[in-house]
This record gives sequence, C-alpha cells and structure tokens, in this order.
Amino acid sequence: MTDDGPVSFDDDEEARMERALAEAGYDTELGMEMAKDAQRVAAGELSEAAFFDRYHEDVLDDFGRDARELPELRDDVDGEVVADADDPDGIRESLAAIADDEGVSRREVMKKGGAAAMALSVFAGGGGAAATGEDDESYDGTRYGMVINLNNCDGCLACVKACEQEHGTSRGANWMYVFTYEDENQDGENFLVRPCQHCTDSPCTKVCPIGARHTREQDGLVLTDYDICIGCRYCEVSCPYGVNYFQWGEPDVPDAEIDDDHQIDERGRWVGSRPPKGVMGKCTFCVDRQDGQMGEEKIGTTSCEDACAMDAIHFGDLNDEESAPNQHLEAYKQAHQNDHSDWENRTDDIVSTFKLMEERGTNPNVQYIGNEPSEHARQVEGPVAYEDMGLVDDRKQEVLDNGAMATDGGEEA
Amino acid sequence: MSADVSGVSREVLVRPIQSRSKGYLLALAASLGAIGVWVFFYTQQLEHGMIVTNLADWGSGGGVPWGLYIGAFIWWVGIAHGGIILSAAVRLIGLDTYQPVARMAELLTIAALTCAGLFILIHVGRPDRLVTSVLPAWPTRVQWSPLMWDVTVITAYFVLTATYLMLTIRYDIHRLRDQLPDVLEPVYQALLIGYTEKEDAVVERMVWWVAFAIIIMAPLLLHGGVIPWLFALLPSMAGWSGGVQGPSFLSIALTSAVSGIIIIAAAFRWAYDWEELIPDVVFRGLANWLGFFSLLFLWLQLQQVVTGIFAAPTTLQHATEVKLSTPVYWVAIGLVGVTLAYVFASALKPSLFSIPAMVVASFAVLVGTLVEKTLFVVEGLQHAHFQLYDGVPGTYVPSAVELSAVLGTAGIAVLFFLVVSKVIPVVELHAIEADHEEVDH
Ligand code: SF4
Ligand code: SF4
Repeated sequence: MTDDGPVSFDDDEEARMERALAEAGYDTELGMEMAKDAQRVAAGELSEAAFFDRYHEDVLDDFGRDARELPELRDDVDGEVVADADDPDGIRESLAAIADDEGVSRREVMKKGGAAAMALSVFAGGGGAAATGEDDESYDGTRYGMVINLNNCDGCLACVKACEQEHGTSRGANWMYVFTYEDENQDGENFLVRPCQHCTDSPCTKVCPIGARHTREQDGLVLTDYDICIGCRYCEVSCPYGVNYFQWGEPDVPDAEIDDDHQIDERGRWVGSRPPKGVMGKCTFCVDRQDGQMGEEKIGTTSCEDACAMDAIHFGDLNDEESAPNQHLEAYKQAHQNDHSDWENRTDDIVSTFKLMEERGTNPNVQYIGNEPSEHARQVEGPVAYEDMGLVDDRKQEVLDNGAMATDGGEEA
Repeated sequence: MSADVSGVSREVLVRPIQSRSKGYLLALAASLGAIGVWVFFYTQQLEHGMIVTNLADWGSGGGVPWGLYIGAFIWWVGIAHGGIILSAAVRLIGLDTYQPVARMAELLTIAALTCAGLFILIHVGRPDRLVTSVLPAWPTRVQWSPLMWDVTVITAYFVLTATYLMLTIRYDIHRLRDQLPDVLEPVYQALLIGYTEKEDAVVERMVWWVAFAIIIMAPLLLHGGVIPWLFALLPSMAGWSGGVQGPSFLSIALTSAVSGIIIIAAAFRWAYDWEELIPDVVFRGLANWLGFFSLLFLWLQLQQVVTGIFAAPTTLQHATEVKLSTPVYWVAIGLVGVTLAYVFASALKPSLFSIPAMVVASFAVLVGTLVEKTLFVVEGLQHAHFQLYDGVPGTYVPSAVELSAVLGTAGIAVLFFLVVSKVIPVVELHAIEADHEEVDH
C-alpha cells in the first residue's frame, strides 16, 4: 500500500504499525524508526548506505551481526522486492538461525531483531503477519485451519493418542476426539474427527471475562493464556462443540517435564501444552510447532496430522492455495468429478463437504469432507476402543468421579 | 390497609441491641457451625482443586462444568435484588405498611450479595487470580463478556445499597445514641463521621434518588438483565437461549426475596416479641406479594414449557421434555404452587392465615427456587445443540463440598443478621416516628 507513495505516516497507519509491533512483542521504537526509514529508502529519499549507516550499530547490537547479512532484510530495502517481506517466516527463520550461530537466546533476538523485520513486513504489501487489524477487512494473512477427510478415517484413534502425548494432557482430556457413529441415512460405521474448530467468530473468546481465551491475530489460532485464566469455565459452556477440558486436579504430567519451547509462544505468552491446575485447556493446533519451536520442518503441521496413517487430517494456512488442506480438497474434488455427459448442469464434483454446526454462527476453520452427522446420529463403540489405546473416553466416570470421592490425596486428573 | 406502628416506643426498637438470651447464643453457635462445616470442605477444594466437586467437562466426559455453585450464585443474587427492589418501593411509592421491614430487606441485600460474591470466588479454578486478572482486563473486556457485566453491575449495586443503608443508619444512630451500648462507641463514631442534622433533608432527597435508581436498575439490568444474559446469549445450549429468561429470572428473584424477608421478619418478631412493631398486617401484605410473584413465576415457567414442546426445534423440544420428566423439577414447581394455593386460600378465608405457616411456605419457596435455578444451569448443559456425545447427558449430583457451600453461605447470612442486630436497629426509626422532625424537636 505504500510501495511508491510519498513517505507520510498518517496517524492511523502509525497506530496500526505500533500496535502490530507491540503485539508481536518486538522492540517497537526501533522497529518504527527502521520502518519509516526503510520506506524512505524505497521512495528514493534516503540512500541505502545512509540507512545502514544509521542502523548499523543498533542492528549489530541486536543481531550480533550486520543486517546486510540478512538476505530478507537486505532485499526488503532494495525497493523492488519489498513484497518478499510478505513472508515474515523467512525473516524469522534467518533471525533464529543467527541466534543459534551466535548462541544468544532465540527469544531475545526474535524480539529485538524481529522489530525491524516486523516493521518491514507491516509495510510491505499485505501488512505482514501481525498486522491484522479488526478494522482491516481485506486482511489476507495466515489463517490456520484443517480439512479433515472423514471418508479416509478408519477410527484408529492414532491422532487422539498422538495429541495426548505431544501435549501431555491428562487422562480423558481428549483435545482431539474421534466419534464413531451410526446414522439413519448412512450405512455402517461413520467417523467424526473433532479438534477445536478454531472458530473465526468464536463464542469462547467473546465470553471470556478477562481475555485469557483469545484469537492470536497473526494466524487465527484460538488459544488460552494459562497465566491469566481464572478458571471460570465460561468458555467451556459457550462452546457449541464441547472441546474444552478443564484441569480439575493436578495435571498428570508435571510442569518439570515440559520445557518452555512447548509452552511459551512467539509472543512470549504461555499458551502451549497442557494447562496447569484450575485452568482451561483445549486443542491449540500445536502452537509450538507453528512458531517453529519444534523445528522448521514442523511448521504448518500438527501432531494429529502426522499420526494419521489414513491421510484424513490436513492442516495448514487456509488462505494459501498451496497449503495442505486446500491442496487435498482440490485433489479430492478432481478425483471425484461428476459425469457431465448426460446432465451438464450437474455440479462439478460429487464431494460433500460441511462445517460442523455452521448455523451456530461460529465460522469454524475446520472443514470436513464426508457426510455431516444428522440429528439422529448415535455414537457407538468404535473399531478401536479408547481403552485399547491407553486412553480414557469418559473422563467424568473414569477419572473425575474417583477424585471427587477420594478427597484425601485422591486421584489426579 | 396500613399499619400504624407510630405508637411504639424507642425501647422496643433497640430491644435486640440490649437483650441477652440463650436463644441468641444458640443461633450464633449454629451459624458458626454451618460456616465451619463449609470452611472444612472448602479447604479440601483449595488443596486438591475443583476435582473434589462433582463437576466435569461437558462433551466427551458428559459432565457439567457449571452446577450448584452457579445455581446458588443466581439464587443469592436474586434474593438480593428482590430485597432491595422491595425496600426501594417502600421509599419511592410510600408503601408505609412495609416500612418496618424495609431495613431488613436492605440488610438482606448486603448479606445476599456477599454470599453471591463468595460463590463466584469458590466457583472459579483460580480464585487467587480474581483481582490480578480481572482488574487489568476490565477496560477491554467489559464490553464483551456477560460475566464481566455481572461483576460490574453487582459491584455497582453493592456500593449503591451500602450507601443507601448508611445514609439512613446515620439518621437513626444520631437520634438513638443514648439507648445504644457504650462499648460500641467507636463504631458509632465512625458511622457518624461528619453528620449534622442539617444533612437530613439532603439525605432524604438522595435516598429517594438512590431508590429511584435501584427501581430502574435492579429489574431491568440485573435480575432481568445481566444475570439471565449469562445464559440467554450463548449459541451452545438449547435450554438457555431466549428472551423469556429475563422476566423469568426476575420473577424468581422477587419470589425468593419476599420469602427471605418473611422469614427474617418473623424470626425477629418471634425472638423479641415485636408483635406491635411488625404487626400481622405486614405479613399478610407480604404473603399477598409472595402469592403474586409465585403466580408470575409459574406463568413464566408455563411459557417456557409450552413454547418448548409445541413444534419446537428438536434440541429445544428434547431439552424441555427431559425437564418435564425430571421429578425434582416438579418438586420445585410443586413447592411454589402449594405456596400460591395457600396464599390464595388465606386471602379468601383470612382465618387460614398464620405466620408460622407463612414461614414454612417461604422456606418451601426458597428451596423451590434454588432447585429450579440449579436445574436450569445443569439441564441446560446436558442438552446442547450438539447431540452426538454418547456421554451426554451424564449425571450430576452436587458433592458434599458443593452442598456445604450452600449451608455455609446461609450461615453467613444468619451470622450477619445476628451481629448487625446487636449494633444498629434493624427496624428504622422512621417506622415508629412517621413525622420524625416533629418528634425530634
Ligand atoms: S470450537 Fe469451541 S473452543 Fe474452539 S474456537 Fe470454537 S467456540 Fe472456541
Ligand atoms: S475459563 Fe479461563 S479462558 Fe475460559 S472463559 Fe474463564 S477465564 Fe477465560
């Protein structure tokens, strides 16, 4: 939006940038300065040499090396390739690599050095990852979501198990849950794979009295800030899907066994892994993976997706046509084309898709391929029982009721 | 039908403050005992977490994450709101008959709001964070979360009621100073800071405006507003949504509050031989109000039932059918219904009326409304729009820890009245000195 315009920062823009920087946890002041000057460079008002002169010191301080060695940063201020900064992940990756080289704390480098990267990507077309203002309707950043192909699912519960292990959830807190059901108009066993739907219009974030349950602006993940949640469980009663699991007692996996990389996201908030006692938990779409803290190769993947041998779960950026969910849906539709030879007005494909209870107005970010369970659907015993996988299905009966009775050093949940 | 109690002497008014009796000590012991039982259980909850309750996750676990704690919260807030509406009505539209019980209604409001606040505290998983999390979030969350609306409005309301009470208490204490015990001198001095008789006229006007604010605020915003909106606005549970919740909650608030006032007034009358101060006519009048509000309550239940079963959407229909087949729902309705019948009968045939019977009826109503409100919360959660979970509806029976909290808060309310009645007159001076300025000078 500002590629070639004169360098003027109206209040709105400045406020927006500041907010984006602050939200991303970056060094706001430095970022603002650099961004403004970077724009001047792009507009030809400031020479590249002068720019580097000005920030050489700061950047050296913050990065431990000159920004010119950062390919993304250098390209960004070349003017013509500013749009590359649309990919803030690339910048972040470089920063992280530097941190590893220099042995400085990753978080520190991301925070300070990321300021510049952030600032640039705010202005480089599209607004960058964190610049999703509520006021900006045309925002087109990352929106994580899933396409789950129920036709592929065989009810093996591998995803449920993988999730439990990756996040250290307590027994019966099945962040990922798989229904086996029978229905009037469908033959035999059918499956419904149910993570949190990471709704765009999520009632849970609306009702949370303190904003602990929130939508992360840069990618739409719906997360719970374990540091401030008061455990009122309002999010749980407002969610139409029943995906929340409160931590009623001490967690099965103690804090000491989970390291920070799993728990603290790139904004420095404690939103990952299982919640502590007295606090709400639910599927996080593996926020630790999305932030690159589990390694580059795991960005854009989830634990359940990895565990699914049937290729049912597809996670990725729904706004990206090349992402796994969009690709899968496309390919599946291609493979199930309708026969137009006799009736040319038929739909293109014969693939049925749905979003769960869309009429509740939640705007879910999980899309299903397959048939939606009707109101007559009944959950039945699946091909693999939860117990067979070492899982607990009915948490109340099997875990919590024991705890309620044995108040004295009773069961943990 | 107006009670003339203006002949009653000031000695009668301060009788509770001066008297000493075994009965009082017994009541004190009982209330402390009730609180003790609850404290014992609550420490378990603090130690082990919410797992000692019978609450659980809805969904695959088939439990209810909200239960008796929230039901009791609504119930106490209802008592508080109804109480203050009544007292405000006395001041605003000059329902002089009820002047002898107006202050009791105000005190009941303070006690009940305290108990309601306690239920929020013990309901949450991290009570230690209530201040640190809620205060900083207030400016950004208050426009969104109905729970935050509740906290806000209830706090505002508490302050309003306390102010209101304080203003009228100052007037009384100043004039009754001679009859009050000297040991409490510091308390009275604190209460009277800055008081001059000149403020009386101003206070009277202020009290009127506060009463006016309460009459507008309590029914529209509180028990007819933010409390039902906690539920009515959610997209998740079939039994909760709908505009009828506002009026329905309000009817329950008024019913339970009148019951509470009847019980307290009867207790004081019985303990201190206050037949002349709180005459029969007050109870007859309160009974009529109770009857009227019970009728409203039942009528609004009928609205919900009929709209829920006649060609309703499947999930709502299911929720309503289950409600109707739950025996304890009929217990709640029955208790209120029997009270209504009794009130009507004794209105037709005055000889049927007796205060002890009215007290029993009032207890029945209080039990009925607590049951109905808890059922509303629990059954709402058991009949979500999303029906696929086999575990749903599971069962929910409050655990000893949860039940003890109802006992404990009742103990707190009783203790509050026992203590306050030793410090200030629980019936205001205006009741016996209608034209107070003349009496005073
Ligand atoms: S599925 Fe439930 S918990 Fe998840 S975002 Fe939607 S409303 Fe919130
Ligand atoms: S339980 Fe925690 S996250 Fe959920 S609404 Fe309450 S404070 Fe918010």
